[in-house]
Amino acid sequence: MREKIEQLLLKTQKPSRYIGGEHGSIIKDKSKVNVRFAFCFPDVYDVGMSHLGMKILYGLKNSVPNYWCERVFMPEKDFEKLMRENNIPLYALESLDPLTEFDFIGFTLQYELSYTNVLAMLDLAGIPVKAKDRKNLTPIVIGGGPCVCNPEPLADFFDLFVLGEGEEVNLELMKLYETMKPNNPTKQEFLKEAAKIEGIYVPSFYDVDYNDDGTVKSISSNTDTAPAKIKKRIIKDFDKVYYPDGFVVPFTSIVHDRAVVEVLRGCIRGCRFCQAGFVYRPFREKNIDTIKDEVRCICEQTGYEEVSLSSLSTSDYTEINQLLENLVEYTDKERINLSLPSLRIDNFSEELLEKIKSVRKSGLTFAPEAGTQKLRNVINKNVTEDEIMTTCKMAFEGGYANVKLYFMLGLPEETMEDIEGIAKLAQDVVNLYYDTPKEKRGKGIQVSISTATFVPKPFTPFEFEPQATPEEISQKQKHLLDSITSKKIRCSYHQQNVSILEAVLARGDRRLCDVIYTAWKKGCTLDSWDEHFRYDLWQEAFGECGVDTRFYANRRRSYDEVMPWSHLDYMVSHEFLVRENKKAHNAETTRNCKEGCSGCGVKKECGGVYCG
Amino acid sequence: MADFPIPKNQSLNIQRYDYRLTYGKTGRARYISHLDLMRTMQRAFKRAKIPIWYTQGFNPHAYLNFPLALSLGTDSKIEVLDVALIEELEFDEIVTRLNACMPEGLYIYNAAKPVNKHTEIALAEYEIRFDCNVSPEEAKQRFEHFVQRDKIEIEKRSKKKGVNLVDIKPHIKEVSVNVENNMTVINVILPAGCEFNLNTSAVMGAFCSLESIEIKNIYTTRTKIMCKNCEDFI
Repeated sequence: MREKIEQLLLKTQKPSRYIGGEHGSIIKDKSKVNVRFAFCFPDVYDVGMSHLGMKILYGLKNSVPNYWCERVFMPEKDFEKLMRENNIPLYALESLDPLTEFDFIGFTLQYELSYTNVLAMLDLAGIPVKAKDRKNLTPIVIGGGPCVCNPEPLADFFDLFVLGEGEEVNLELMKLYETMKPNNPTKQEFLKEAAKIEGIYVPSFYDVDYNDDGTVKSISSNTDTAPAKIKKRIIKDFDKVYYPDGFVVPFTSIVHDRAVVEVLRGCIRGCRFCQAGFVYRPFREKNIDTIKDEVRCICEQTGYEEVSLSSLSTSDYTEINQLLENLVEYTDKERINLSLPSLRIDNFSEELLEKIKSVRKSGLTFAPEAGTQKLRNVINKNVTEDEIMTTCKMAFEGGYANVKLYFMLGLPEETMEDIEGIAKLAQDVVNLYYDTPKEKRGKGIQVSISTATFVPKPFTPFEFEPQATPEEISQKQKHLLDSITSKKIRCSYHQQNVSILEAVLARGDRRLCDVIYTAWKKGCTLDSWDEHFRYDLWQEAFGECGVDTRFYANRRRSYDEVMPWSHLDYMVSHEFLVRENKKAHNAETTRNCKEGCSGCGVKKECGGVYCG
Repeated sequence: MADFPIPKNQSLNIQRYDYRLTYGKTGRARYISHLDLMRTMQRAFKRAKIPIWYTQGFNPHAYLNFPLALSLGTDSKIEVLDVALIEELEFDEIVTRLNACMPEGLYIYNAAKPVNKHTEIALAEYEIRFDCNVSPEEAKQRFEHFVQRDKIEIEKRSKKKGVNLVDIKPHIKEVSVNVENNMTVINVILPAGCEFNLNTSAVMGAFCSLESIEIKNIYTTRTKIMCKNCEDFI
């Protein structure tokens, strides 16, 4: 097998992605291992290796001596072709063993456009893609990650899903398997036991009925061990949660090629479009000492020269200044760059800017998301124009000259005035640059506007909202371009068809399983790559399966409609989402968690800093 | 203002200590490209806490130098890495500390003070093992026939001249061909270095097309790097 793989490597791009052997990768003696887990990231190595969740769960599972977790990625099309031509099944990078030899095959579902890759990877491993066709106990195909908050479009392909945070439940599941395995249980017997674990959802244990109008009528458990509602898992003591003491360090450069330490989980903000802001609640932090130790440990083990503090909004860390002071002391001494992604405009202090600058100066990126204050209130992005301007002024005086602004088109309550607001805001930033004294400012102002089409997501206050139709979006894009007059402003937008597909899959039900299957059969894989995305094939698939994209994407859903994910409990209450949706339509904002609890439904016991 | 701060653990004109490391690159590590190898080594030094000397220009970077590139997929027992440190360390200590931090397939054999200059590299010796569409004995004969040709012309690309034909026959030196374990084994010396460099893949490509050979499996190892006088580059 290894020989066969090696002879193909030189015929492919960046071969080191397909052979493993990186520093930090974990090799175990198979004879001393009794549970084998293949952790699959359904995209190429360069993307998957950047994913923090995989690093955490890889380290966690391997910390148990008799469990062995290995990595698997989707090959690029060139290598997939070579593998198929030479009968090489998809294999894991550590042992180079095919996936059929594993007990668990676990996929992390990070974005909708990776769904066809799941099917492609199973098939490339010679494993039936549909759960009902996999009769044996192993491999057990499981899924986790944010998309699992509505896994219904993938229900046919998985044996079970893991809801919420994986650090505890993954080991519980593996332990259960380890205990049951000697008795040779059937798959059904194992799944029945697994369903008792909090956070485990076995889709085949639930029946879905539909109304005549196509909406879901009811979702009910058909198995005594499967609870009516499945609750997501939360790590209550986040400071004590497992964190790896090492990463696998890739040879080839990947998207995020640096050490990463997670400083907080959850977000206090409650921006109404943002799924992460709701499904990762509550807001929990690690202590400064914990973070310091983890930074030092990861940097020493990997040899990286850059460390990034990861979270949904790092500047919301309660003691951000003390934290940075502590860290800069270490990183300066070791000549390590400290990078802080996800900073918010409103609490971006001069002091903070100074700290980042002393390390490295790149461009600044802001996400006002909407062009006018009214619309920012609608989406609860509580950032004012003044704040944007103050921060940009500081940035320009500090020598920055590259500003990126992110916006969304097609938000609820959006008018053409809001679109003009985007152009105006960008123009104001350009003007501000020219008002900055010449000796202070950097050279060559460039403001880039990047617009994405709004995709309504489950478990957000906008889960009821229709997505703007392609016609509306095209009109708005054109209007935006017409409103921009300066050559210093560059404007780009996402492919429209991608957003439609995301909208359909994000809020879809089990009837989409056939569509995904058909699209994959027609050759759709690596859909998140522009060069591979084939919307024409997707359209054919929708047509053949008799599924109307508008039903899923462009229809307003009533507050009492049974959502395809209504049997899943992500703790944020339905009442709260309805309340927030109504406030959105009145352009009323909601305070953030730090300012006071708004009663989203997440219980105090879950360990949130500001809960209750 | 520079993108990178002036390194804080060194002032200007800091003393540098030069070392020449000899290392092996085998197994899974043979697929690390030249560019990736630079990063890999730099990180290994960082993990080993061996402080590298940084260049003192406008954009300081770690001083690591590979005087002779190795083709992707080729094993080697004698690769050379030149590095400058800001501390004087025992040779053995450098070797031990680095080997504790190396990924699978990379192994430091030796550290020493550099003797020859990079530009003195002129030749490299390779061992090529392969099996193909004909028997190993037949392949041996065909290779012997191949190197006895008057002329072996290959296309060589260069930035200045574009594609042009080069006769590589006079450059293929000291050939021996044997059969071992059902494989044909070629030992050959080829020009290497900045003046004129010839890859084994170019030679094997010409061999395959001129002698109608289709290779199934091939393993190439660099076994020596030499100066013009055929003495080892040290």
